[in-house]
This record gives sequence, structure tokens and C-alpha cells, in this order.
Amino acid sequence: MRKFYVLLKKEIRELLTPQIFAPMLVMVLVFVFIGKVLDSENKRTGGTQRIAVIDQDNSSLSSRALERLTAENFLVERYTGADLNSLISQTKDTTGRAYAYAYARSILIIPRGFEDELMNCAQQNLEAYSVIKDFSVSAAFSSGVLKEATAVIEDFVITELIERDLPMVSTEILKNPLTVNDHVIINNRSAAIDPEAVMAFVTSQTTYIPIVLFLVIIFAAQIIVTAIANEKEHKTLETLLTVPINRSALVAAKMVAAGLMALVIALIYLLEFRYYMHGVTGGVGGGEFLDDRLINALYGLGLVLKPVDYVLQGLSIFLGILSALAIAFVLGSLAEDIKSAQGLITPLVFLVMVPYFLVLFLDLNAISPVIKTILYAIPFTHPFMAAPNLLLNDYHTVIWGIVYETCFFMVFVFIATKLFASDRVLTMKLRLRRRS
Amino acid sequence: MSEVLCVDQLRKFYGKKFPALTGVSFKVQANEIFALIGPNGAGKTTTLRVIATILTPTSGQITVLGQRLDREADKIREHISYLPEEAGAYKNLTGLNYLKFMAELYTADRSKQRAYVETATEIFGLKDRLKEKIGTYSKGMTRKILLARTMMTEPKLAILDEPTSGLDVLNAMEIRELIKKKAETGMAVLLSSHNMLEIEHLSHRVAVMDHGIIHEIGTPAGLKEKYGAKNLEEVFAEVVKCGNSMCY
Repeated sequence: MRKFYVLLKKEIRELLTPQIFAPMLVMVLVFVFIGKVLDSENKRTGGTQRIAVIDQDNSSLSSRALERLTAENFLVERYTGADLNSLISQTKDTTGRAYAYAYARSILIIPRGFEDELMNCAQQNLEAYSVIKDFSVSAAFSSGVLKEATAVIEDFVITELIERDLPMVSTEILKNPLTVNDHVIINNRSAAIDPEAVMAFVTSQTTYIPIVLFLVIIFAAQIIVTAIANEKEHKTLETLLTVPINRSALVAAKMVAAGLMALVIALIYLLEFRYYMHGVTGGVGGGEFLDDRLINALYGLGLVLKPVDYVLQGLSIFLGILSALAIAFVLGSLAEDIKSAQGLITPLVFLVMVPYFLVLFLDLNAISPVIKTILYAIPFTHPFMAAPNLLLNDYHTVIWGIVYETCFFMVFVFIATKLFASDRVLTMKLRLRRRS
Repeated sequence: MSEVLCVDQLRKFYGKKFPALTGVSFKVQANEIFALIGPNGAGKTTTLRVIATILTPTSGQITVLGQRLDREADKIREHISYLPEEAGAYKNLTGLNYLKFMAELYTADRSKQRAYVETATEIFGLKDRLKEKIGTYSKGMTRKILLARTMMTEPKLAILDEPTSGLDVLNAMEIRELIKKKAETGMAVLLSSHNMLEIEHLSHRVAVMDHGIIHEIGTPAGLKEKYGAKNLEEVFAEVVKCGNSMCY
């Protein structure tokens, strides 16, 4: 038993290395950072239970219905004079009051004659407009706000009808006094469709790209960092550095090899995920099972990728992978052996995870400028954002992202080549150790 | 004899504070085997690495066949070949494929590539084992194939860091003979070793290094005579002791 403890002690000591702990610590910091950002952004925007109501009826019933909404913790912005277009396209109303961005996401129209018609026991239509400005989780969540709000109003109306004890009221009216017509507005284009169907379609089309990209970036980076660390650990790099070949050829060969591997892996993952998503959604989003109404709505909203969109998206993803490879190459140069290489990849994981989660959860157009700048400075934000931006016809952001990714990649390739052209590739670790 | 290598006041600092070499000067001629000896950390490997173009000198000048290392490193690499002390090879490649891969890096000429591989095969000796992966080789066999790779291109200057390290007596003797033979054909050989007996029998001239500087240069016989020593080991001990007590 004593010998077992001696061995156990040695094994634990071997495992308690900075290379093991640093990545874990960074992961904790990443999630704390993401959590903090999400929390502060949620506080800044005041949550998502906000709704703008165009009260065309301006009656006692509509007023009290909105009071009920407020009582149910909805933040209601009531407009009696504004119409839908002015609410969407203008930033201020006629009295100079600012239309908060968030209010314009969920718009409910209470029609003129709402109270009178209901008291005459006629079913009423509410028009519910979801203004989609991004496809993040927060946007998907806000599309549910309207459903909850109309349910509260309906409940209120039913109670009113029962309390007033109207003689002509039928059971059917009591059960369903309101019908809700769902609409989606994207880029000032409108379609009568359930926003959840649109979000489900877009999610099925765009969700797997960041997941695949995330996996490919980490995988490709690991390939290249391990390749360099392997050369160092097995002392083959020293020999390679003395043969008559251009140092930039050394860098390029490693990068292209890892890039090709990443491309193959990306294609395999994409096919796997398409198949997986098809299985999960039962074909919804795959095209062949979409009903005509949804297809027409998607075309009407412009939510269809054109060939040029696929090219731009592919380019953004490819440059994202290349940027990861270039960063990994520089990080790999610091590695002394394969064990230390695994720890060195941590900063890259951080750079990939932060935009991945924030893009998934937040609407980048609505976040604070500081966080926005930080996110856009990370090259991997751009490929994550490419598909949603292309669906929203935001070509400016996508092209700017591609230019930025290209510059980022070139700068890191330059650094990597300089490292290999100098003796730093062999001495950098040595220097760090001596300094410490 | 024509001069192949000239090292003049070579200095190398790691960072700003750690001096590895503090003014190393020597010359190596064609047909000559020149050895660097010294204790661990004396600066032997750093000197070899700088000449092999993988470390950048802090100051000083190195010329190989009249070409300055700071200006024409790419050209110099065509004429040198370096065997690091703990060099490894690609374990997933067969011995033959490794030699072919290295030959392709030196020349685009197919016939030359074949000639290089044939030369290496001859040096390696165990032709049948060349079809096996290097990962299956013993330490001695790996060392031999690396040495074969170093010599196959017939470099003008072979830089060998502990060439016989890890080899058994018979293999070490074989390698020493090979080095001698290559030097006779005109190759200049710069090597370092801890094996004083090897150095004494192999080298034409010896430089004793310590603390990043050369303290003595001479033929083994001349140094033994100067220090009244029976062998090079005693010369080495005397020079290093003297160096530590600041005799110079």
C-alpha cells in the first residue's frame, strides 16, 4: 500500500503542472467574462419583456389591458398617435420622445373599435409584429414576448367579458375573444408569418456553421501547434533549419498542410451536422418539407442566400481558419514540447469561445461600443456573424470583416515568418525561462 | 589547404544578460578535422549552432568558403551539413523515405537525389532496414542514419555535435573511420565531443573551450607537449582548471 501511495503522489505531482491548470483557469475566466458581459448587457437593455403598443382604440378597455400587461412585468410603451411605419423607421415620435431600440422589436396593434366590438361580442384581431434585427438567442426570446403579451391581454378580456355578464356573449367568444395575426418585419420587409417559424428556419440554417467552425478552428490549431512542438521535441526542427530552403517555405508548407486538413475536416463536419440537423428538425429547415406559406414568407423577407452570399460566407470561414492557423503557428513556436503545446493553445480557445458565445446570445448591434469593438477585433467574430449578416443583407459588415480577417492573417503570417527566419523559434522559450 | 571556415570574435548572448559566447575565433581548413572540447555549458553547441545558421550571432564575423554568414546564410546552407547532438528523425517515415525527403530538399536534380541516397545507404550499411519505419530503429541505428544524411550531400563543411553519442564501440569506430575518410577527400569537419580519446585519435586540431571562450588551440600532440600531459584528458583538465582560476 505504501508503494501505491508513493506512486500516487508522483502521478499527482506529474499532473499538477501549469500546462494542465492554465487552460482550466482560462476556461473559468472565459465563462466568468461571458457571463458578466451577458449580465451587463441584459441590465443595460433592461431585459427583453418590452413591448411597443399602438393603441388605435385608445379606449378604457385597451388602457386597462395595457395596465394589466404592466402589472405582469411587461415594459409597455404605448403610442396612440403613431402608426407602424413611423415606429419602425423613425427614431423619435411626434412629441420628440425617443423610440427605444428594444421597444420596436415587439409591436402590438390594438385596432380601432376594439372595446366596442368586443362588447358586441365580436371576435377581435390583434396584429403582432416581430421586428427581427438579428438571429441571436435574445432575438429568439423577444419573439416570444408578443405571444406572452397577447395571452395576458386575452386573459384580461375574458375576465372582463365574464364580469360584465353580457347577454349576447357566446361560449366560443368567451373561449377565444381574440385572434392574433403574426407578422415578421426584416429590413422593412414584412410577411404574415409566425416569427418562431422564421427563427427556427434561420437557426437551422446558421447554427451549425459556428459549431463546425469552432471545432475546426480548435482542431486545426491543435494540428499546427502539435506539428511544431513535435519538430522541436524530436529535434528535427534544428536539422530542417540548416537545409537550403527558404524559411517562409517552411512556414507556408506547415500552414497549407494544416489548412487542407482543416478544410477536409470542415467539410466532413458540415455534412455530419446537416445530417444531424435534418434528423433533429425532422426535415424542417431542410427545404423539402417547408410549407408554401413559409417559403413565400422567407422569399418575401429576403431570407434566402444567393450564390454570392455563399462565396462571401465561405471566404469568411476560410480566412477565419487561416487566422487561427497563423496564431497557432506563432503560439507553437513558443512550445518546448507537445505537453506544453496543449497549454499554449489556450489563448486561441479564449479568442474563439468569447465571440462564439456572445454572438450566439447577443445582438451585436445593440451591445455597448466597447464590447462591440473588442468583439470585432477578434477575427473569429466575423465568420460567426457572416451567415446572419448575409441573411439580413448587411454586406458592408461582412466585406469589412473579410478585409479585416485578411489583414489579421497577413500580420500573423509575417510574425511567424520572422520568427522562423530568426533564432527566436529555438530560443524564445529559453529566454522566458531564464527571465523567470 | 584552403580555408573553409573562419570564425572571428564570435559573441552570442541569450537575451541581454546571459553570455553564451564571449569572443570565439578559429579557422578550419579543407581536409581538416577540427574539434571543440570543453565542459558542459562551455559554449560548444552554441558555436556549432551559430555556424550551422540556426542561431544568429550577437556580434563577430563568420565566413564559410568566403561567404559571410550574416549576409549569405541561404548560400552557405548549400555547402554545410549539421548533425545536432540529440537530433531525431521523422519516426513515421521509413529510413529510405527519410533520406529521399532530405535529398529532395538539397537538390531538384533526380540523378543527384539518387546519388545522395545511394551514398547514405552505403554509409548506413543496413540496406534492408531502410524499408522499415525509423520509429522501429534502435538509438544507434537512428544516429547512423542521421549521420548518413549529414554526409550524403558531400558538404564542404560537416558540423557534427557529438557524432558518436549513443553508439556502441564498433559503430563509433565505424563512424570515426568514415569521418576520417571524408576529411581525406577534402571535406572540412567541425565537431564537438566529450570523448577525449576519440578527439585525440580523430582530430587534426583541437580547441579547448570554457565559459564561452577558447582558451587553447593546437594539435593533440602539441597540446600534450605544452602541458606535459599524457593524454588530451589531462590537457583538458589543466586548461579548464587554469581557466577557472583566471590564469589567462
